[in-house]
Amino acid sequence: MKYSYTWLKELSKTKKSPKQLADLLTMRSFEFEGLKTEGKETQMEFSILPNRGHDALSHIGMAREICALEGRKFTPTFNVGSALAVPRSDLGVNIEIKDKKLCLRYVGAVIKNIKISPSPKWMQTRLLVSGVKPINNIVDITNYVMLETGQPMHSFDLEKIKGEISNKSKTSNSKIKIIIRRAKKNEKIILLDDKEYMLSENDLVIADSEKVLALAGVMGGSDSAISNKTASIVLESANFNATSIRKTRTSQNIITESSHRFEREIDPNLAETAMARAIELTKEICGKNIEAASIMDIYPKKVKPWQVKLDTNYVNRLLGENIPIAKMKNILENLGLKSLRHSVSKWIFFEIPTHRIDLKTQEDLIEEIGRIYGYENIKEQAPCAEVKALPRNEKRDFENKLRDILIGFGFSEVMNYSFYGKEDIEKCGLRVEDHIEVANPLSSEQQYLRETFSPGILKNVNLNLKNFSDIKIFEIGREFGKKGNTPYEESVLAGGLVSNSAKENSILALKGELESILNKLGLRNIKFEAQDTDFGFWHPSRISRIIINGEKIGKIGEINPLISKKYGIKQRVAYFGLGTEELLRLLPKETLYHSISKFPIVERDLSMFIEKDTKYADIVANVKKTGGSLVKNIDLFDVFEKEGEKSLALRLKIGSDAKTLTSEEIDAVMEKIISSLEKELKVKVRK
Amino acid sequence: MLNRRIDEIKSAFLKEADNSQDEKSLYDTKVKYVGRNGELTQILKNLKNLSPEERKQIGPLANEARQEIEKAYDARKKELGEQIDWEKEKIDVTLPGKKAEIGSLHPITIVYREIEKIFSSMGFEIVEGPELETDWYNFTALNFPLDHPARDMQDTFWVKSEKEKHVLRTHTSPVQVRYMEKHKPPFRIIVPGRVFRNEATDAAHEHTLHQFEALVVGDDINVGHFKYIASQFFSAFFGKKVGIRLRPSFFPFTEPSFEFDISCTVCGGKKCPSCKNSGWLEIGGAGMVNQNVLVAAGIPETAIRVLPGDSELSALL
Repeated sequence: MKYSYTWLKELSKTKKSPKQLADLLTMRSFEFEGLKTEGKETQMEFSILPNRGHDALSHIGMAREICALEGRKFTPTFNVGSALAVPRSDLGVNIEIKDKKLCLRYVGAVIKNIKISPSPKWMQTRLLVSGVKPINNIVDITNYVMLETGQPMHSFDLEKIKGEISNKSKTSNSKIKIIIRRAKKNEKIILLDDKEYMLSENDLVIADSEKVLALAGVMGGSDSAISNKTASIVLESANFNATSIRKTRTSQNIITESSHRFEREIDPNLAETAMARAIELTKEICGKNIEAASIMDIYPKKVKPWQVKLDTNYVNRLLGENIPIAKMKNILENLGLKSLRHSVSKWIFFEIPTHRIDLKTQEDLIEEIGRIYGYENIKEQAPCAEVKALPRNEKRDFENKLRDILIGFGFSEVMNYSFYGKEDIEKCGLRVEDHIEVANPLSSEQQYLRETFSPGILKNVNLNLKNFSDIKIFEIGREFGKKGNTPYEESVLAGGLVSNSAKENSILALKGELESILNKLGLRNIKFEAQDTDFGFWHPSRISRIIINGEKIGKIGEINPLISKKYGIKQRVAYFGLGTEELLRLLPKETLYHSISKFPIVERDLSMFIEKDTKYADIVANVKKTGGSLVKNIDLFDVFEKEGEKSLALRLKIGSDAKTLTSEEIDAVMEKIISSLEKELKVKVRK
Repeated sequence: MLNRRIDEIKSAFLKEADNSQDEKSLYDTKVKYVGRNGELTQILKNLKNLSPEERKQIGPLANEARQEIEKAYDARKKELGEQIDWEKEKIDVTLPGKKAEIGSLHPITIVYREIEKIFSSMGFEIVEGPELETDWYNFTALNFPLDHPARDMQDTFWVKSEKEKHVLRTHTSPVQVRYMEKHKPPFRIIVPGRVFRNEATDAAHEHTLHQFEALVVGDDINVGHFKYIASQFFSAFFGKKVGIRLRPSFFPFTEPSFEFDISCTVCGGKKCPSCKNSGWLEIGGAGMVNQNVLVAAGIPETAIRVLPGDSELSALL
């Protein structure tokens, strides 16, 4: 809020300069936002904490705060809080609150014989410095009172309010009627900003017997507005439910000084104070002839001060200080709290003034004591803590290990947003129904939670191809999906590779890296099985499941080149994704040391023609099955396809851990391997 | 006479062979002594002209010398053959090395590691939680009233779900409650993670943020402890003594609440453009955990003080 320095000074009687006040308030109460000086006037802006809107969005509230910070009590210079000077009567005005939950109090006053003119210079100056535009004496008084007390007010032109339709009389003496009710669906009103608003049943309005006069607590209607011809008015000082006002101003998208205060909740007792002050000012500046004709106050449930019990030992235990009890009492009393009973015990009961809606628990009081005592006076102290070995965060440790291994293999880490749009879902051949939808996305590109990292990785690849010809990237993060209707998230590692040298074989390049990475983690039993359904963004004939110890933990393959192209990538992109938590679960609990065999190992090459659909994995499995423990290693060193014939060349390492094999023994193993391949897989071994 | 000459030939050859630096000169040397017209060859040829006694004495000697020369020749030849031409070997060592692949970590990962290392050294456990949270853990259990503005569509991403209401967590604090439900105090934890705010991205705003927060629960934890721990952490993080300043603030889940500033890491508090001439940098929010949060997490209200402080990672990058 923007405050006038001279106004604050007058109310609080502070001797501090604006700069000193700014420093003091920043450290004890509210953050200082800026200072503007024009002529003799200085504007000071502070950002008021959301729980202090009740009292501090006013010059009186701020003056009270300043006094408390300076160690004094606040004494108002005028009659705030005193009884209304006008006799209470319902003569001439009839007020009806239809919804007592949304309107907690309504004070209405009829004032007659007014002469509309500009307000006095001093008032205009104060309004201007507080950021409010002067309009005329009546409107300016309502705004002035709001800035002073924190209570928003409104004024209606009495002539524009339609009275009760009664058969008896249509005389000028008929009572006017003000109804506080929810709007009807599609009811319309043109407000003071000259815009028409379509209302709903959630909006609270002030109405007469015929039409809506104002959007309660937000803005008045233009029909009933004060004009130069206005001679009689109804002044409103009311209290509206904070949530209701907030809903209305959000749905109607209008923020006003009034809604800003109401949505922070205001003390209903303030309505009376403000009305008294407004009438006082009206008498002072709107001409000698004015007549405060009648006043009516509907206040169904009066709010009374409440009590909070404070444990003075707890104050020092929580703050870590040694503040004397007298000092605590002094701080709270300067804020307007009353200490009630204080025996020798550590307990003090405080009565809370109703404008401090935020003070409900003793911790709330401790905060007041702490900040006014000064947080900088609280000394740093080392806590006494138990010495214990910490439980490790295995998942996070593991993911960090993965990162270190991956960067060792030349992969760089990326972090993408957790969202993508329908466009990505369509481009990648995914299904919208598998995705969790954000109910209120920032844009259509951020409408769904990522179910796969692939769109992000593809965008990264496209961007990086502008600078590099080879790309190896990975991301560790969360993917989101649905199991039935229940949303879930899982931790995932995904990676992408573009290789200028591997080109078409990029999937094998990535597979090699992944196998080494998994080996490095101590995983040996890794299998890759071709997958034949559910391709999504995958290349339909270059996709494999990753199977470790018989469990499917992810997939590796090539991105469908047609999809890569949609992301502006001409090169082939290899991609893998797997669950890090599953991977962690499968890690061997211990690593065993094996020494290298003491006995010689010989190499034998095996070249063969195989049928077109026979897989390398089948050949290897067959060789291992037949050769048993004597086959130490199998390497593929040549593969080609010519005229429908597929040829493989393997290099086998053969040896025993128990003895040196004779050449007859080795020949016998090779014989067995060859005959099994020929018999079971229709392989033609080239001899 | 003659036997002395044979000795001389032998040693002359050995000397010359040693001095010859290429195979050709070595060969020429050999030819000179044992070639068809070589001196030793001549001696051998002339054996038949000697007396039988002399022949008996000189013959074996000359033959032995010849064998020795052949042997020395072979050895020297091998030596010369194995010699490396260092001149030819020359490589411009300032040429670029063959490029090796190196990967790099994301800067956010690097900062998290630094933070976690420091807190681990102070005995804090590292705890994570879900990014997709329930309304209960993200708001209700943290003492956000049902009509709190933070629950607005404007501030929070809600997801369409049929059963329980879910949000993309707006802070790491739900993990406090999840942890407190399962662990008995005292404990010290930090919670790193990704959080979301429904804010359009521009130079000053981001809808996806990386945060961490610390939580200490113990019998007698107070504001002074917070100042100490924060000062220890930030001093270790920045590698120099960092001061902590608290200012009043408001959060539903803490009471008292503060904003905390650290002394400017650029000027050390002397005031500079980086700290907008204040000497301080705004770093995060903190406070003593609100009793309602403790109750929601199932921790008895008696004599437990808690202290969370959170900080956004981009502030530390």
